[in-house]
Amino acid sequence: MERESISVTVNGRTYERAVEPRRLLSDFLRDDLRLTGTHVGCEHGVCGSCTVMMDGVTARSCLTFAVMADGAEIETIEGLGSADAMHPVQQAFWEKHGLQCGFCTPGMLMTAVELLKRNPDPSVDDIRDAISGNLCRCTGYQTIVDSIRHAAKLMREDGA
Amino acid sequence: MYVGQAIRRREDDRFLLGRGSYVEDITLDDPIAHAAFVRSPHAHAAVTRVDAARAAAMPGVLAVLTGEDWTRAGNGEAEGVWPVKDMSGADARTVNRPFICVDGTVRCVGEIVAMVVAEDRHQAQDAAEAIEVDYEEKPANTLTARALDADTPLVHPAHGTNEVLVTEHGLKEETEAALAKAHHVTEVVVPTNRVTAASIEPRCYMGHHDTVNDRYTVWTTNQAPHIVRRYFTKSLNIPEHKLRVIAPDVGGGFGMKLYHYPEEALVLWGAIVSGRPVRWVGTRSECLLGDTHARDHHTVGRMGFDAEGRILGVKFETLGAFGAYESQWNASITNAYHFTMLSLAYDIPAIHTTVRAVYTNATPVDAYRGAGRPETVYQVERLIENGAHEMGIDPLELRARNLIPPEKFPYQTAIGITYDSGDPPALVEKARALANYDALRAEQAALRAEGQWMGIGICAFFDMAGAGPVKMMNDLGAKIGCYDVASVRVHPDGRITVFAGSHSHGQGHETTWSQIAADRLGCNIEHIDLVEGDTDRVPMGIGTWGSRSLSTAGMAVYTAADRVVAKSKRMAAHMLECAPEDLDLADGEFTVKGTDRKLSFAAVANASYHSGDRPPDLEIGLEETSFFDPADCTYPSAVHLCVVLVDPETCAVTLRDYWAVDDVGTVINPMVLEGQVHGGLAQGIGQALMEECAYDPESGQYLAGTFMDYAVPHAEDVPSFGLDSHFTRALGNPLGAKGAGESGTIGAPACVCNGVIDALWHLGVRQVTQPMTPKKIWRAIEDAQRAQQ
Ligand code: FES
Ligand code: FES
Repeated sequence: MERESISVTVNGRTYERAVEPRRLLSDFLRDDLRLTGTHVGCEHGVCGSCTVMMDGVTARSCLTFAVMADGAEIETIEGLGSADAMHPVQQAFWEKHGLQCGFCTPGMLMTAVELLKRNPDPSVDDIRDAISGNLCRCTGYQTIVDSIRHAAKLMREDGA
Repeated sequence: MYVGQAIRRREDDRFLLGRGSYVEDITLDDPIAHAAFVRSPHAHAAVTRVDAARAAAMPGVLAVLTGEDWTRAGNGEAEGVWPVKDMSGADARTVNRPFICVDGTVRCVGEIVAMVVAEDRHQAQDAAEAIEVDYEEKPANTLTARALDADTPLVHPAHGTNEVLVTEHGLKEETEAALAKAHHVTEVVVPTNRVTAASIEPRCYMGHHDTVNDRYTVWTTNQAPHIVRRYFTKSLNIPEHKLRVIAPDVGGGFGMKLYHYPEEALVLWGAIVSGRPVRWVGTRSECLLGDTHARDHHTVGRMGFDAEGRILGVKFETLGAFGAYESQWNASITNAYHFTMLSLAYDIPAIHTTVRAVYTNATPVDAYRGAGRPETVYQVERLIENGAHEMGIDPLELRARNLIPPEKFPYQTAIGITYDSGDPPALVEKARALANYDALRAEQAALRAEGQWMGIGICAFFDMAGAGPVKMMNDLGAKIGCYDVASVRVHPDGRITVFAGSHSHGQGHETTWSQIAADRLGCNIEHIDLVEGDTDRVPMGIGTWGSRSLSTAGMAVYTAADRVVAKSKRMAAHMLECAPEDLDLADGEFTVKGTDRKLSFAAVANASYHSGDRPPDLEIGLEETSFFDPADCTYPSAVHLCVVLVDPETCAVTLRDYWAVDDVGTVINPMVLEGQVHGGLAQGIGQALMEECAYDPESGQYLAGTFMDYAVPHAEDVPSFGLDSHFTRALGNPLGAKGAGESGTIGAPACVCNGVIDALWHLGVRQVTQPMTPKKIWRAIEDAQRAQQ
């Protein structure tokens, strides 16, 4: 199949690659760039594990072709924080036990980051609504909700 | 002390930073080829032709393999870990799940007919689509309730019946007599819906054959790698010492990732044939179809009460689904975990049950979080709920009258199992207080007067967890020893590696096992690392399932650590010139009691490996292993209470409140415990209200092939949970721990369904089967109103 050249910035680094038009962004990130923190749980846009940030808004990388990301800025879980400097959302998930097996976690974190950008003080209902496109089979969601509320608090304190 | 503290999880860093290492993430030096499968589109068919010629010539294809190749290669048959065993001694009609169709007949949708190995996934999938298969369709039945009807097609005609076997348990005559003399008898048909674990990580396997050293490696999304290794001796005839099974980070298992699945055997076979490492990762559709399904019991129950609402006896007739074949652990449900717990938390003098295991043209059924006990609790509790309403006794009050009183423990149930410890009345009182039960009943009455439908759901139960002991589980049918193993290796610098035969796929063992070890060893938790999930590194293991890991593997950690302490004290006593009994070990230091003479643990560890000056009969080194066989199962118990609102317009159910009071014995980490309970509750709520592995009853086609069709609960479908606990000590292990993994899934289906029935009782509704969808509720109300006219 014909390949197309694309230029994608992922976590601040620009990659030039030739990809098949049918190559999914999730496969591009995981297999071509070896950024395996983005997970694929359903490959049809329902579970949310593959959620990444594309030009500042969340996108399902399993429903996005890599060629559609040409020229875009992508942020994945690997770019969110580091062991020494975790993002407040990561810190909060750790403190409030917002994860068990960790498989849904990257997508949950990206979704939470987007929510908190939009709404720095979300209610429980706001949070449940915002993560309604992300499935978690382990936690029962309550600790995830607690984590996101806690992250909001940490970020407000940070900003203050 | 670390035990009892809500220590934050030590494994979380890598998950939060996107650095987890799941099977699909692993790279190798050799390029990894991919497998794709041709699966039966029919529920029952003869396979009359498989033509792979075109596929074999396609770009990137490395191998195309069929059932004929499997047989020619001399590969073997699956074997039950917990095979069906007829208590009467008669032969069970066992037909194990095939790895690939070898006998020219497919018996459920999704059964594997052929495999392609190719350079990349797309090439493999394209080639799989190019394999031509001709089928001759045969009549099929996917419904468990119909399996034994006279006109139902046979899944395995050679057996002349769809019945796998019949087992009876309990007191038959006493139960009949109790029902005959009862003041009131309640009868309900209580089927449990077919569901599946639906871990968010799909199943994924990778196989590799190292021809230079003649060694094999399998990376697997599995909960019990040593058990997988054992069954590769049957599938591919690979001796255990030649095979390394690695279960790295695994994205949820819930029992479903316990088995030696067809795809797991096939990828290693593909690797052997193609000479390349081969990986397969399931699509969501393949997983919803090919992951084992669960529950699917069709049961009729009768319960007899005296005039005060005391239960005199209960009798069940169950058809227990096997699906098209016997899956590896299936009989642990029908033959062990289901019937044993029928007394729940109640003092019931007579219980009798007949379970007929049956074949249908559907995906094989096996254990999923709770395995048999969600069915049990649902069956008994639905009868209690209806009985209470029929007799006009408050449902919580009727239950309270029947609870096993604390002074009766250890309590032998009428079904034969003995609960070691518990205090059901205390659990009920705590739940009553937590929920403010009397106020809820008042609110219910007030809302009903306004035309609003509110219901209160209740259930109270015991769980059987912590398998073994080895002998008891063997007697119940297990072909594996249900113990577990840990090694505690102290390195010369005093740092510690713990190797455990359990497997954490969300449970947080890196934290909890370290808490146990650090307390026993008197050391800093940061000085401990845990290794699990690798048969080359961990001496042996039975894996994580059935809420067993804490009371088996956790106890093995505890025991091995104590042995390390005993040995290191002898060395330290030698160095400090005192008796071992005179030493205390805490904060990484040995202290001679009553003095200020100290020696660091690290110095003793170093001397244990490198000093010639030691007691003459003390062996060099500081490492101990425990194979821990518990003295008894554990019996966690719980009471659940919930409030549901049913919308009179749409019949949609809102679960407003949910409370659970658990007795799990000793708690290692309350934060982890809470997470386990929450997660189980959400899954149980899914079973009650939303989830169903549905088949079209006419064509046998599978209707739940995506997450759009199979409804896993979303954040908006579950409430915030209110939890409390009550402690009684488990007697079968020195930690006193009972296990906590399954309470949620076991209780929630019964509790939520009872809540819905309680909300609709005044409308004449007596039963709505799971999942209680708005459509079913609407129909039940319509039927009830029509019947009343
Ligand atoms: S993998 Fe993209 S939404 Fe599920
Ligand atoms: S933590 Fe396992 S799926 Fe969410």
